[in-house]
Amino acid sequence: MDFDFTDDQSSLRDAVARWVEKGFSFERRHAIAKAGGKTRDVYGELAELGLTGLAVPEAHGGMGFGAIEAMVVSEELGRGLVNAPYAQGALIAPLLLSAAPAGVQSTWLPKIADASALVVLAHQERAARYRLDHVETKAVPAGAGWALSGAKSVVPAGDEADAWIVPARLSGAVGDAAGIGLFIVEKGASGATVSGFPTQDGARAAQLGFNATPATLITKDGLPVLEHAVDAGIAALCAEAVGAMDKLVAITVEYMNTRKQFGVVIASFQALRHRIADVKMQLELARSMSYFASLKMGDAPESRRRALAQAKLQLGTSMRYVGQQCIQLHGGIGVTDEYIASHYFKRLTVMEMTFGDSMHQLGEVSARMRDTAGVFA
Amino acid sequence: MDLNFTPEEQVFRQQIRAWVAENLPKDISHKVHNSLHLTRDDMQRWARILGKQGWHGYGWPKEFGGPGWSAVQRHLFEEETALAGAPRIVPFGPVMVAPVIMAFGSPEQQKRHLPGIMSGDVWWSQGYSEPGSGSDLASVKCKAERRGDYYLVNGQKTWTTLGQYGEWIFCLVRTSNEGKPQTGISFLLIDMKSPGVSVRPIITLDGGHEVNEVWFDNVEVPADNLVGEENKGWTYAKYLLAHERTGIGEVNRAKRELERLKRVAKTEGLYDDGRFRDQIALLEVDIVALEMLILRVISAAKSGKQTLDVAGLLKIRGSEIQQRYTELMMLAGGPFSIPFIREAMEAGWQGDHFGAAHCAPFAPTYFNFRKTTIYGGSNEVQRNIVAQTVLGS
Repeated sequence: MDFDFTDDQSSLRDAVARWVEKGFSFERRHAIAKAGGKTRDVYGELAELGLTGLAVPEAHGGMGFGAIEAMVVSEELGRGLVNAPYAQGALIAPLLLSAAPAGVQSTWLPKIADASALVVLAHQERAARYRLDHVETKAVPAGAGWALSGAKSVVPAGDEADAWIVPARLSGAVGDAAGIGLFIVEKGASGATVSGFPTQDGARAAQLGFNATPATLITKDGLPVLEHAVDAGIAALCAEAVGAMDKLVAITVEYMNTRKQFGVVIASFQALRHRIADVKMQLELARSMSYFASLKMGDAPESRRRALAQAKLQLGTSMRYVGQQCIQLHGGIGVTDEYIASHYFKRLTVMEMTFGDSMHQLGEVSARMRDTAGVFA
Repeated sequence: MDLNFTPEEQVFRQQIRAWVAENLPKDISHKVHNSLHLTRDDMQRWARILGKQGWHGYGWPKEFGGPGWSAVQRHLFEEETALAGAPRIVPFGPVMVAPVIMAFGSPEQQKRHLPGIMSGDVWWSQGYSEPGSGSDLASVKCKAERRGDYYLVNGQKTWTTLGQYGEWIFCLVRTSNEGKPQTGISFLLIDMKSPGVSVRPIITLDGGHEVNEVWFDNVEVPADNLVGEENKGWTYAKYLLAHERTGIGEVNRAKRELERLKRVAKTEGLYDDGRFRDQIALLEVDIVALEMLILRVISAAKSGKQTLDVAGLLKIRGSEIQQRYTELMMLAGGPFSIPFIREAMEAGWQGDHFGAAHCAPFAPTYFNFRKTTIYGGSNEVQRNIVAQTVLGS
């Protein structure tokens, strides 16, 4: 039992923090968001730091790091409110591709590592809510390969990506766990349509359409891999949220210690002091569960799923409380576009609706509950 | 980072588990697992069993006769004993006054008092709160006047938990009215058999007798019973509060009670009721998060690389969780939590419980546990402390 970071992990954290400090000011982020949320340049800068190869095996030009390094990087990106699709491109995609035939891996993984390719997961369907087994998009054999038909929604950085990893049904009914394949589809493939749009948190997503679109098979047993990758996404999101909340709370504390009303700093009012104490509580519970999420990523699927659902549920509660209360503690300035706090709040809010909201996760935790209790249940 | 305990720590856990299985009397664990009434004899029997093993003061360093365990070992001990259904160690002697005596007491005081605390033979009580001094503890009025080689003590303490069994009591007494309230307080050890000490019960809302008033009427206390220096008692009291460690979160008891809640929910046909089950699931996440926070504190203590100043958070969260599981347990009992048959909380009682015997303690425990957000520094005081740390002002 050890929650200290190694020196290498601390150096990694410092490197990301230094880049944020020098290269990713709020003004830059604000300008990107105003211009529609395109962040491919930012993603390229993360690649120059070596971060996009973090989860790619060394044999494919990456660093082959694990969940804790991913957590460290994600925390710092969250602190810096970096709106590039880091978890999507650098953490989720390599994990999905780990199930692919060797040839597919060697085609894509080196490009992911050096960011010459941005590959993102395109799994959301209109009627799926947060279920991963709800797959209507169809895959049929076509010559030596496959052809996909269907639609995917709200695909992060979908119109900036070079390829998408797409779950599509090989057989069975819409909600069946079996019969879901994972495919890689390249931008510009015939029959593929892309409509990009900005998102609430200053980034970008896209609606994708496929009509007999050529695709390369990753695996025919897609659901377990998809669940694993989404769990990695949840762990990264938890860490990003912790970084974002940590910074938002620091900003709020500074504001409380400088803003004066009735002739004194507002930090002197007990109603607000108790509020910030409750905010601190939610932050530390969230940090604890973010650690839990990353530490459980190596568990067997059932245990990992339960833990990640527990973590996302805590993070959902924390993100909502910390986000809302830090806006409230700022008063009027908190609801302006020019001030940074509202942008943290919007990012935290979008994360609630990513990979399953709190109500969805409560259902997961409830369904997966065991007779024993606690961290080691 | 590693969530798992080391092989050595796991061996330690197994040793504790085996020892507890061998030595914890079944009649006592039965009571704990079912929230039945624990007598003085139950509590002291367990204290003496631990004392014989040298574990009643399980947090003590070796130089004072303790096992010298690490933070991890202490946590594992707390976890194994709690899950097995051991009574909570009555903290006033081994957890509260002993560390103060070790740090500030004279060699004579250490020699005189520590062995009886470790063995579980001497029952200690806490004399902090007064009718006019709750959250504002520094305002204590109970007076100790120096008269040659003794102090003359007059005044009243209150909310003295299990004081009806107390043989000794450690008290914050006023020895000076000069300067700030904090600077005139002394830390005095008082033999409760002294003439002029009287204990009166306070019956709490659950009908139980757990807390007391303790009155001091011209009680002569030998000056040798002063701990440390006169008028420095506030410093020692704060040390004591700081010494309360991660146990303050009571997460191990919470895990045991959550497992019990699941069993009760099954018995009552509620476990597959989505609305009730979701409430259990929410509580489970709260408990996992608290446990992770506590493990972070223990890990920090183990490595010494970082400090985590979260005692206030542990107290707030732990007490809220305790209240929530007692509430859900009561709601699980539903209408059968309504009958108030005090005798049904005694082990082996065979009378008519008018419904379901296992439901009898649910409401009284829920009522009783309202204390958890009030005692040990109310949760509102804890929020003041947390805010001070966060805001730096």
